[in-house]
Amino acid sequence: MLNKKHALKISREYTQANFTWIISLILTVVLLLNSFNFKEGELKGSVFSVFAAYAFFTIFQTILTWMVKRDLLTIGEIRSSTRKLGYVQLFSIVTGNVFTAAFAFNLIKKQKTPEYTFAVYMLLTQVFIIAISSLNLFKSYVADSFLSAMIILLGIMIFQVVTLILTARYVKEESAPAWMMIVAIVLLFTALTGNLFALLLGYSLIVKVRSHDQSKISKWNTMWKKITRNSTAILGLFFIILMFSISVCSTFTFDYDMAVENDYGAILQKPSLAYPFGTDNFGRDLFSRIIFGARISLLVGFASTAIPVVIGGFLGALAGYYSQRTDNIIMRLLDILYAVPGILLAIAIIAAFGANTTNLILALSVGSIPTYARTMRANVMMVSNYEFVDSARALGSADFSIIFRQIVPNSLAPMIVKATLTIGGAVIATSSLSFLGLGVEPHIPEWGNILKIGSTYLESHSYLAIIPGLAIILLVLSFNFLGDGLRDAFDPRMD
Amino acid sequence: MRVNKEATPYFRLSDVLQYTVGKMELRRSYKYWLVILGFPVHLIVFLFYLLKRRDDTYTLIYEEVRGSLTVSGYKEGTMHDFKEQLLRKHSFFNNEVNEKEIDREVEKLAEEQFRKTLTKKTNEIANLKGVQRVTYSTYFQSLLGKPLFLLASFIPGFFMYLLILLFSNPYVKFIVERLIMSLFVIAGVSVLVFTILYLSPFDPAANILGEAATKEQIASFNQLHGLDLSYLSQLWNALKGIATFDLGASYAGNEDVAASIANKFPITLTIAVLSLLMAVVIAIPVGIISATRPNSFLDYSFMFIALIGLSIPNFWQGLLFILNFSIKLQWLPATYSPQNWLSIIMPVVVLGTALTASVARMTRSSMLEIINEDYIITAKAKGLNRLQVLWKHAVGNAMIPIITVIGLLFGGMLGGAAVTEKVFNISGIGSYIVDKQFIPDIPAIMGGVIYIAITISLVNVLIDILYAFFDPRIRSKMKQS
Repeated sequence: MLNKKHALKISREYTQANFTWIISLILTVVLLLNSFNFKEGELKGSVFSVFAAYAFFTIFQTILTWMVKRDLLTIGEIRSSTRKLGYVQLFSIVTGNVFTAAFAFNLIKKQKTPEYTFAVYMLLTQVFIIAISSLNLFKSYVADSFLSAMIILLGIMIFQVVTLILTARYVKEESAPAWMMIVAIVLLFTALTGNLFALLLGYSLIVKVRSHDQSKISKWNTMWKKITRNSTAILGLFFIILMFSISVCSTFTFDYDMAVENDYGAILQKPSLAYPFGTDNFGRDLFSRIIFGARISLLVGFASTAIPVVIGGFLGALAGYYSQRTDNIIMRLLDILYAVPGILLAIAIIAAFGANTTNLILALSVGSIPTYARTMRANVMMVSNYEFVDSARALGSADFSIIFRQIVPNSLAPMIVKATLTIGGAVIATSSLSFLGLGVEPHIPEWGNILKIGSTYLESHSYLAIIPGLAIILLVLSFNFLGDGLRDAFDPRMD
Repeated sequence: MRVNKEATPYFRLSDVLQYTVGKMELRRSYKYWLVILGFPVHLIVFLFYLLKRRDDTYTLIYEEVRGSLTVSGYKEGTMHDFKEQLLRKHSFFNNEVNEKEIDREVEKLAEEQFRKTLTKKTNEIANLKGVQRVTYSTYFQSLLGKPLFLLASFIPGFFMYLLILLFSNPYVKFIVERLIMSLFVIAGVSVLVFTILYLSPFDPAANILGEAATKEQIASFNQLHGLDLSYLSQLWNALKGIATFDLGASYAGNEDVAASIANKFPITLTIAVLSLLMAVVIAIPVGIISATRPNSFLDYSFMFIALIGLSIPNFWQGLLFILNFSIKLQWLPATYSPQNWLSIIMPVVVLGTALTASVARMTRSSMLEIINEDYIITAKAKGLNRLQVLWKHAVGNAMIPIITVIGLLFGGMLGGAAVTEKVFNISGIGSYIVDKQFIPDIPAIMGGVIYIAITISLVNVLIDILYAFFDPRIRSKMKQS
């Protein structure tokens, strides 16, 4: 019995099943609450039917969870008949419930290679992109490139379905058949649509086909297993990649005019099929604006993290490696930057140089240099004491080559974790500053700008303020979940 | 005479002085300060020292040994040895031999060796005879032991003695060092913020006076606010203004900047402190509960909520609160008014959410780390019950890193207050800065940012000092240094 309880505890499926039915239930309840109009006491048919679909799959999910638990407690593993039921749950992808769909894919396959997980999420991303883009069909007109782009996207999706099946059948834990190379190369090309899971899968396949270095493969496997074990982390990654991919694809599938051109015939429309999120006070489609806002948020978030990572990392590496005097000078100067709260420094810089996207990125970057420098310095100080650094020194390498070839690559993990966790902060800071009128120029559809307009219609059209906020929260939450997952994966103490 | 024993209690003033000076001499920067602050005393002592050195037995022995070593041909012997060694080394590595270079190297090495032997032998003989080598610092320290000298030099060396006494107590030394450091940081912040605003390409005069302003009007505006001065003199004025709380008048509206900042500071600080209290009261119990039941449903839910709390933008949360509690339910007023204490609830909750979330996460991870320490197992093995272990051994130690984090986050909260203040229409320091930045009203922005930075630095100093008193590890480290 104790043994079986342990099986329950370590089972990846059981943990995910629990997580999935709870989240799914919450979504169902939210839908139920939204399907009634409490003021007028009437039922909204469309929302209610969506609720019914969600409720069906949530109930099925609960049954699956119970079955998984029973199987684990009685025989210590999941019966293949239970796994087969996962095929039924796959249909929940039609309702757009990514949680149940991801669980279904995980349940079906017993031995999960990282490639299988990549392929699953690659396909899910593609399905979501197509679904989101095809909402444009209800509009009075679409972008010129819409049709061709959709055909390409659908073609890629069919290819990805084939890849998923091939990956599930032929890719092994430690190797992949040589003909997979062709698939991998095609995948790398499809990654141009922004679907970075395809890039990951392609890279991973190439490594497995070409490399005979077992330790490299097993390292890669362990790292991704740790990350994919954490269902919230991988869902975070999924949402980030989805947002990125949508930002790329929206260039072709969405009409930018919908988001910026005034249409006085359609002012402050309620959400409908043509305007999924309604329209704002200038008749601009909120849905398109949110989609186009994603790229600004991602761009500013990434840029204002990458710049301080590079500068702070460089300074921190120098401070950590060289003598006490260099260390003192660099760190005391950075202490000055550290004493001013980031957002205040950003406000001061923007006050001095004006509000636009470039200044915003620079302003946010400057404030976070010291944190990265501190992280890097602590790591470099630790790593400099290792034997391989001594050996590099004994071999006569120059200081700079030791720092940037030996030490820095070995102290990157905490930097990556920290950067992931702070991108979320940067996204919030961007929208906060835009909300104050200090960030992105007001004519650009950015989530903070959209919210600013929405906040004036809080009483009458609250969705104008709620929906962009939800978008921000989801993106930030995804970065935080991914960052937590990466930290758990990289932190040796957790082993 | 140097006292080498650590942590011996000193009762006599001169002993304390001698011991502390001995320690201070080890750090170069302190040595300079000693000389600068006690310059007249040092000048006279140095003259006496020069006189005394002439009839110093140590110097006599030194000269004697040198003579004997030179006569015995010690240096030539070592030179020969070194040369042979070098030649062998080069032949082993098949290097080309350059006679001149080798000779130079040999000379250098031999000289070094000679000096080493000389000092060693002199010390040996001096030790046998019981003679101490007199350097300036030992001479000065021996003088400090004489009450008469102390009396005579008390007035000219007052500041030096003050410095020495400050450093004789590790706590006082720590506090003074920490204060001086934050003084430097504050000065640095002022220079930084001023420079950023100085580099601004905007012309406040044109913005305020309008397009139609004549050249004379702009010139007189610039002169009024000192904008026609050079960078350095403007910087000096700004630093002086910050130190004396006199930042002059704002560009627009002609109000006293320091006075308006002083008016707006209390409300920002009140909200921040209340948020902090809320965070501590909610987050620490939540973190402890989560850590004591790791990976349970409760733990997952708490941490999930905490992560959502971290991911909510302040302004959006504020808008949602206004929508639900002010517009729909009509429980709380949507904007802040000082007369109505109910109106402060929403700003406090909104500002405190992110802090609560991160403190809860921090408490959990800190507690989890502590709970797995060996001494907790020992405490359990001793037979203490769960609550005793938790409260007597775990919580206290887990709080140590959390206090630092709270100090750091408090700073971020003061910075982030601008957004919350804007949403709830509070006229605090944050919204003041934001309002002023459109002009840009340089003295107002600079004053606001710098005074917030100063507040944060002071809070952090306070936390560091409190820390030093409460954490026994830091205390012992301080005494050793």
